[in-house]
Amino acid sequence: MIILDIKNLTLEIESNGVLIKALDKVSLTIQENEIRALVGESGSGKSLIVRAISGALPPQWIVTADRLTWRGQNLIKMTRAQRQAIMRRDIAVIFQDPMAALDPSAKLKDQMLESVPREFIEGRYAWQRYASRLSISHKILHKVGIQHVEECINKYPHEVSADICQKFMIAMALVSQPTLLIADDPTRGMETNTKKQILALFTRLNKTRNLSILFVSHDLLAISAMAHSMTVLYCGQTVESGKMKAMRRRPLHPYTKALMDSAPSFSPDLKPKSMLVALDGTIPTLQHLPIGCRLGPRCPRAAKECVQMPTERSINQHTYRCHYPMHVEPV
Amino acid sequence: MIRTLIRYFNLTFLTLLILVMLSFGLAYFFPGDPITNLMGANKLDSQPFLMLSSQQTNIFMQFWYYVQALLAGEWGVSFATGKPLYQDIMRLLPATLELSIYAVTIALILGIPLGFLAGMNYHKKIDNIFMSSSMIMYSFPVFWLALLLILLISLQAQWLPMSGRLSLLFNVPHYSGFILVDILVADIENKRFAFNNAVQHLILPTLSVSFIAFAVFLRTTRRSVADVLETQYIKSAQTRGLPAKTIFFRHVLRNALLPVLPILAVQISTLVTNVMIVETIFSWPGIGDWLIQAIYERDYPAIRTGMLLVSVVVVIITMSLECISQLIDPTRDRFAYARR
Repeated sequence: MIILDIKNLTLEIESNGVLIKALDKVSLTIQENEIRALVGESGSGKSLIVRAISGALPPQWIVTADRLTWRGQNLIKMTRAQRQAIMRRDIAVIFQDPMAALDPSAKLKDQMLESVPREFIEGRYAWQRYASRLSISHKILHKVGIQHVEECINKYPHEVSADICQKFMIAMALVSQPTLLIADDPTRGMETNTKKQILALFTRLNKTRNLSILFVSHDLLAISAMAHSMTVLYCGQTVESGKMKAMRRRPLHPYTKALMDSAPSFSPDLKPKSMLVALDGTIPTLQHLPIGCRLGPRCPRAAKECVQMPTERSINQHTYRCHYPMHVEPV
Repeated sequence: MIRTLIRYFNLTFLTLLILVMLSFGLAYFFPGDPITNLMGANKLDSQPFLMLSSQQTNIFMQFWYYVQALLAGEWGVSFATGKPLYQDIMRLLPATLELSIYAVTIALILGIPLGFLAGMNYHKKIDNIFMSSSMIMYSFPVFWLALLLILLISLQAQWLPMSGRLSLLFNVPHYSGFILVDILVADIENKRFAFNNAVQHLILPTLSVSFIAFAVFLRTTRRSVADVLETQYIKSAQTRGLPAKTIFFRHVLRNALLPVLPILAVQISTLVTNVMIVETIFSWPGIGDWLIQAIYERDYPAIRTGMLLVSVVVVIITMSLECISQLIDPTRDRFAYARR
């Protein structure tokens, strides 16, 4: 069953009187009990999608979508209170920059305790409820791999290192036992060991608690190890999405192909001292977006038609938007 | 914490030292004999002043004696009246302080909550109303506002008295110099009437001073609240689904007020200037009125002492406010260590 369904999500930002489409017809679905990876270069709008789903966008930005639904309920038309209730219990978000996402003037302890949902707290009196909150927090903090909980919990966010802040963010997100976890680059800046622990925790929660995860990252290795399906984003457009295995075996969009080729560990038959493959150029800025397929100027297979936006086509739940996909011989 | 205290103490001390040097230098810039300019008379029979005026000293020793005289409360005498300045100033200073304190209190009590209201409704109707009206208030020259108030409320409507602190009918013995306190502790008949009368006298000057201060406080608070609401941590608290009340009291309030305090400290000097102008217009017997009189009369010792005293008060209040805002800010040493 599909829990989060996004169809043709468009986000427009006004800049100097011109509306810029920062996200252009993005489609994304998350099945129950699925780990979906959202991949793209920096600046491709991954975080914008996360913020559009969680409703953390500035009010002057215009969000339109054919569908943006949570279990059939329309998230855009919903009142603030309804949306808050869903965010409180069902969807949890881990933001990209943990230092900025934590209140600098409040102790980590206070921020952790207030995230514990009321339903989990036992006891009648204030001190009992406080103790209950504290023990729940301690448990979850241990789980995400903070060794010296007592030491860290009484500090301000700027007094601990960034990865501990990140772990606190993860703990705050997981403490409400959500159905869907939206993790925006959750392992950024962590050392490999802790990264592995966190990813293992996510996978375990996915298997034991039926937690669905939208995993936003550019770490292709981690993604291929844990994700069931993947959506590739380029410059605010979804270029391809499908099952992880199918996408690895046979990417259909030139951008996905380039992305896979750029990770050496994905090409076992790579010869020593051979050139690494990468697309020419860089991702365009929001002020200079190409028309049609935005990969156009960088695409090795681009042709005349590419100034038109390609329609979405799909083969066995593997959808792509390209005039000249990889399985069609170029003209 | 102790480091912060020591740092601010040093800063205050150095600033005060420079102020004292300046005031000492003033005597040399004024026309006439510097020693007479300093003391206000040719001969005074207090110990430091005798040393100061003796022929054998050099300028450094003179400065040292001058500091001693200042600390001993020997501030010289006025050219105009020949009375010791210390007594004059100690009689007048409380009146000024009283006026400033009431004005600041009113501006704070109204300005900060309304600033929060405007900030929470950023770029909405209520915010626009507050912003435009505070812009108008901010643009009023204080002397013109005071004259306008006198014209409309005292002369035309005759609701409130236009000058002084208290009607001449009442004779309140001097106790602390704060008129309301004095009336409360004084053992006089008609205490109630005297109190009402003093309050009536206070309303117009307080209003004219607090007018601009209110506008500044409102705008500062509103800006700060709007900034905090934009931040990632408020957004992330909202996405965690915390109730709006929790977000406001736990996260918005403190973060918005922390940067407001140092900005208020900067406003103190503007406020003191406004108080002095208002005092002159309302004939409020405070230090500002007195100082401006001294300037008219070229009363050099009074100018020097008045300037020194007003600046010392401003420096001390500003520094202590800044020091307090440093001490209560938990993020103060955020940049003390290099960040990752």
